Amino acid sequence: MSERALMEGSAAMAESAVRAGCRFYAGYPITPSTEILEYMSVRLPEVGGTCMNAESEIEAIGMVWGAAGCGVRSMIASTGQGISLMQESFAELANAQIPIVAVNMCRGQADYFQATRGGGHGDYRFIVLAPASAQEAVDLAQLAFHLADEWRNPVMIMGDFLLSHTSELVEFPAAAFPEPSAKPWAVTGANGRRGITLSPLGPPEKLSTDIAAALGAATAKHAAIRAAETRAETAHLDDAELVVVAFGFPGRFARYAVRLARERGLRVGFVRPISLWPFPRDVVATAAQRARAVAVFELNAGQMIEDVELAVRGRVPVHAIGGISHDHSGFGVGPLLNVDYILERIEAVYAA
Amino acid sequence: MEREIVFTGIGGQGIQLMAKVLAQAAVDAGRHAMLFGLYGGAMRGGPSESTVVIGDAPIEAPPIVPACWSIVAMHPSALPALLAKLRPGGLLFANETLVDVALDGRAVVPVPATRLAEESGNVMGAGMVMLGAFVAHTAVVPLERVVAAMRAALPPHRTRMADANAALLARGAERVRTAQHAGAA
Repeated sequence: MSERALMEGSAAMAESAVRAGCRFYAGYPITPSTEILEYMSVRLPEVGGTCMNAESEIEAIGMVWGAAGCGVRSMIASTGQGISLMQESFAELANAQIPIVAVNMCRGQADYFQATRGGGHGDYRFIVLAPASAQEAVDLAQLAFHLADEWRNPVMIMGDFLLSHTSELVEFPAAAFPEPSAKPWAVTGANGRRGITLSPLGPPEKLSTDIAAALGAATAKHAAIRAAETRAETAHLDDAELVVVAFGFPGRFARYAVRLARERGLRVGFVRPISLWPFPRDVVATAAQRARAVAVFELNAGQMIEDVELAVRGRVPVHAIGGISHDHSGFGVGPLLNVDYILERIEAVYAA
Repeated sequence: MEREIVFTGIGGQGIQLMAKVLAQAAVDAGRHAMLFGLYGGAMRGGPSESTVVIGDAPIEAPPIVPACWSIVAMHPSALPALLAKLRPGGLLFANETLVDVALDGRAVVPVPATRLAEESGNVMGAGMVMLGAFVAHTAVVPLERVVAAMRAALPPHRTRMADANAALLARGAERVRTAQHAGAA
């Protein structure tokens, strides 16, 4: 395959994952994530990898857990409904510090809470990355496998129907992040050495004696991840009276509306969190310090807005300008994915 | 400068293929392109739409565009709602076999795509006639790139149609080459 190709976001992301060294994929088909499973079913055998079409989401994440625990770069994809079923395993994986990459090709953006807070038990966190184009899906897939190994922590990539199904020109960079040559934590057989146990509770001999230490070790890195792995795109913040915050592919609609607002002479700035966790709190806080108001465009009933409010801390009003948006399919391609609508909302908040 | 082109028609007319071929041809010609198709479960007769944006840098426009440079209408059913997106000075390519070309005084490029395809004994190839006419009129990508992209885009069970499609692309291009040249990309 050439290094430059017109590809759907889902295929581009999957190809990038393979180039990042992903050699195991398991999934259960569900719109709009099925194209990743289809792509992997063809591509992984070509590079000596394995793709499993599991009989359920719970089974699929169990397979990924097993492969990743053996030190194989592993990936799973679904949409929010399927991701819901994996929450118990997600929590265990994170607390056992097993690196995986999980993709949620979300229907709309209703799974922000699910991704950034998680629905499993315990103090765990996923690093969450939200691409806004096929090229960024390529780049963030590379980064995701790197971060997962670097921090021994699961990484989630949040996409949606539009990211999955929009074709764009992508270029595949030379591998930016080589896979670690040694993974001393991996379960690779105990021939000639002591066995390794990958468990949220620590080694078996410490069971019931030092659980807090094991769980503490798995979560102590959160502060360092916050400090090192916060990512955001910004535009026009220098003189912005209104700051628009939006994420993922729908963020691209908001960015375009901001551009049109600028052409009309409105001093509007833009922040697109690329890492949803850790959330770019400082970027939003700094932008809000110079602005009169903040407007949040997201395709849900109001989820990321809570992180924006935590960053803004009441200094300026924070307005919701998005909402739940679906057509009859329920896949999240609804009437609010409309630049003119977003522009109207921006103008209304700006004039207030 | 980004050029947004919206293809509209019904399932079976080749809307998705036209758009895919145009986007691939643009990329093959060294440009950037974005492609997004929307269609329902009905393979025949249901609404089918696809948007292509072509530019010289990574595409900024979202795939559901607020305004477009051109509309290619193979069937009238979804056209009225789309017309509001056509920029002043934008071009409407109308399959005049099926679409009323007397559309409120807009600049219309009429192409009897379905009739020409029927005369060639391949009514299912009307989209190729229209695509040939579109690229000949706009020069947004060279026709040779489109022919090559079409050949590459066909699935194995359709490759026997490649030569017939190439002839239909040429037929559409020929149709407009005699007409006046308006804007170029």
